[in-house]
Amino acid sequence: MASVFSGAPPQSGPGYSFKQTPTEAPSGTRQHGFYPYTDNGGSTLGISGADFTILAGDTRHTSGYNINTRYAPKLFKIGGEGPDNKGASIVLSVVGFAADGEALKERLDTIVKMYKYQHGKPMSVAACAQRLSHILYGKRFFPYYVHAILGGLDEEGRGALYSYDPVGSYEREQCRAAGAAASLIMPFLDNQVNFKNQYVPDSGSGHELQEKPRTPLDQNHVLELVRDAFTSAVERHIEVGDGLQVMIIKKEGIMEAFHPLKQD
Amino acid sequence: MFIARSEYDRGINTFSPEGRLFQVEYSLEAIKLGSTAIGVATGEGVVLGVEKRVTSTLLETSSVEKIVEIDRHIGCAMSGLQADARSMVEHARVESQNHAFHYNEKLRVESCTQAICDLALRFGEGAQGEDSIMSRPFGVALLIAGYDEDGPSLYHAEPSGTFYRYDAKAIGSGSEGAQAELQNEFHKSLTLPEAEVLVLKTLKQVMEEKLDSKNVQLASVTKEKGFRIYTDAEMEEVVGRLPTN
Repeated sequence: MASVFSGAPPQSGPGYSFKQTPTEAPSGTRQHGFYPYTDNGGSTLGISGADFTILAGDTRHTSGYNINTRYAPKLFKIGGEGPDNKGASIVLSVVGFAADGEALKERLDTIVKMYKYQHGKPMSVAACAQRLSHILYGKRFFPYYVHAILGGLDEEGRGALYSYDPVGSYEREQCRAAGAAASLIMPFLDNQVNFKNQYVPDSGSGHELQEKPRTPLDQNHVLELVRDAFTSAVERHIEVGDGLQVMIIKKEGIMEAFHPLKQD
Repeated sequence: MFIARSEYDRGINTFSPEGRLFQVEYSLEAIKLGSTAIGVATGEGVVLGVEKRVTSTLLETSSVEKIVEIDRHIGCAMSGLQADARSMVEHARVESQNHAFHYNEKLRVESCTQAICDLALRFGEGAQGEDSIMSRPFGVALLIAGYDEDGPSLYHAEPSGTFYRYDAKAIGSGSEGAQAELQNEFHKSLTLPEAEVLVLKTLKQVMEEKLDSKNVQLASVTKEKGFRIYTDAEMEEVVGRLPTN
């Protein structure tokens, strides 16, 4: 009878949806736990250019070895008008615990829309970045279990990208990968975007060695980097795949595109 | 005169049959008893000026504070019950700091004025779940001057909670005469030094005492220096520039 109320039925093997699934009927004294978080896998990445910012994320939503859906977007337009965020110029990407990500996006979107009513101007990315930091830190002791990346254009029209840890520590960066395959994608980005470990040929050895100078990257080139990063990540990480959602933020507006990824 | 109104001027949130809120209207009268305050907006910045009523030769004039800072880029001049203004200014300061904390940017002058006016109608019993802090309307009007991304601007906030933006505005006991003078003298191409003289010249006309560098105070808000109250030396310099008549 006790097993009826234990939450999950006893199974012969481990449950892959939740690591905590009991494998045998409880007997004697039982310890109860509170597990409010799940890791829903997936990866996101953002790169900022001279006059654009690109954000991307795969659309697979997992629990353990299960795929819950092959289409769960991780990129959200913030601000603008109405439920479709028409005219928005800021994009939030979230990866980690999808429900927390969704809740975070709803909160930020509401705040950004209210800001426009209160102050009579759209919120700048810099202001939005600071606000998002405070939202995350406000839940310092029960955090939103997400890695957020915020993208847009700054006051001068240059690409702006901000990355966050789950409790609101943030930094403006040139590029950032987050989520399950972050450790696979980030070194690739360091090398291809910030030219780390790339040197001017024949510039000497040791201290004479000159780093390859950083140049602003072309939009199409960046887009190819993003797609390459994800096709590679799909090969090496089981939680990444199905589809790639890409948003390009330019002064003309936000362009959104989907590309298929391997479904295995 | 007040007999006909007596039914309706006690309940502060009760409309009279003619659709008026008497206590709010009376609070506007309290401002007309206050000393004159003037604000003039130019392309370079905004100038605020107030008359300090020196009621006694023993009064330390520097303790009369009628122009105060709200933030580095916003200041305000007051006329009416000064104690009421203190709680409004305190609210505006908190609001401005909060905005900087949350958004890492300066609060706009209009938003600051709106924040002050939000407070103006929080008198009476208070709505459900909302604490009322005042038992009566404020008895003070403010001239809010600031410089934000849209340039310099001047706002006038009343106890009724309404606010308007002005190029030049006078409040307080001498406001009618002063406003007429501003109407004649103001033009869009005023420079900051010209605005300083205009403010003092207008104050001079409506003040009962003879204007000197001790019984008036000036402040300005500019892009470069933000909000600044003029020092004694600067006051003397501006007073010296006044045309003698």
